[in-house]
Amino acid sequence: MKYAFTAKGESWDSEIDPRLGRTEFILIYDDKKNELSAYSNSEITQQAHGAGPLTVQKIIDLNPDILITGNGPGKNAAEVMSTSEIKIITGAGDMKIKEALEAYKSDKITG
Amino acid sequence: MGSFSYLGKSDLVIADCDVDAADLHMLLGPDYQRSEDYYSGELAILDQDKCINCGACLSVCQFDGIQSENGTFRIEAMNCEGCGYCQRVCPTNAIQMETQKVGEWYTSSSKVGSTMVHAKLGVGAENSGRLVAQVKNEARRHAKKEGKEIILIDGSPGIGCAVNSALSGADYVVFVTEPSVSGIHDLKRVTELVKGFSIRSGCIINKCDLNSQMLDELITFMADAGIEHIASIPYDETFTAAMLEGKTLVEYDKGPASQVLIKSWEKIKQFAETEGCLK
Repeated sequence: MKYAFTAKGESWDSEIDPRLGRTEFILIYDDKKNELSAYSNSEITQQAHGAGPLTVQKIIDLNPDILITGNGPGKNAAEVMSTSEIKIITGAGDMKIKEALEAYKSDKITG
Repeated sequence: MGSFSYLGKSDLVIADCDVDAADLHMLLGPDYQRSEDYYSGELAILDQDKCINCGACLSVCQFDGIQSENGTFRIEAMNCEGCGYCQRVCPTNAIQMETQKVGEWYTSSSKVGSTMVHAKLGVGAENSGRLVAQVKNEARRHAKKEGKEIILIDGSPGIGCAVNSALSGADYVVFVTEPSVSGIHDLKRVTELVKGFSIRSGCIINKCDLNSQMLDELITFMADAGIEHIASIPYDETFTAAMLEGKTLVEYDKGPASQVLIKSWEKIKQFAETEGCLK
């Protein structure tokens, strides 16, 4: 299973970035390889408009099964998201990445 | 918003994200401690020495951004959208795109003692999600530094880019509407947006005595959509009187509308806490 997180930093101890479109980083955790990789989103946060759809496109390209975030996508971003099979889990806005993954696994946060 | 900022005193950080029509500064007397330039969008600049007057730019511009006079060409800055098409087709590289300073943003201390982050855009410059995110990030940085639990954000109307950016990351949303066709229409649209963001919301109905039929419709919609009814405020000219003196309503007088706002602020804090977003 491949998980994507919107994050304020690059490690397990970083906080979830509640914003999807203007998230600082996208983290990908592949539990088969037990590997966490970080992707900076700074180029997109510098865009005046359309950050949501661009970030979602970037996430889709990274090909995760599940996205764990804070608020969820806005309207345009949701449209782009609906072209993929990625499951969106919201409500992790106050958590660290490792806590968010645990919360998802124990069903404390859902779609 | 002004009254809530006043009631919250120095317990919060204020972010005025309605940057196209920033108005909180009129009520909250910020001191403009720090100001920074804001750059956004581009403008085509034509180098006359390199221009061979071929007119390629004119033929592709969709915005009347290129004007021709007696066989020579110039950029009409007011019309230029900054798309860069002219630069792309120019055979002699006579056109360069330059990033524009479109406004400033400020960190201030407000008259009620709280930190306030706000911005001012130049004429014709448009607000953007990026500017709103910048104002909010700065507000968040101050809240962290000062140990403040609440950031109060003034968003703009509508459902555009700037509104998305103002909403994202919020724990609770307060709508302000009135019982009219456009009021209900706009509330429905923004409710859809907020639903997508999974943020809880409440609503203050301003000028609630405008139209009783519309009011019923509004209240039914709110109940169905799960929007908490925070308060109803009848039409009251005290708002205008307070504004003319540059005061928030709650500092201007202790009349009925003021009382409603005081109760509303308590309710909003209570609702937000119930959700467990204040730590």
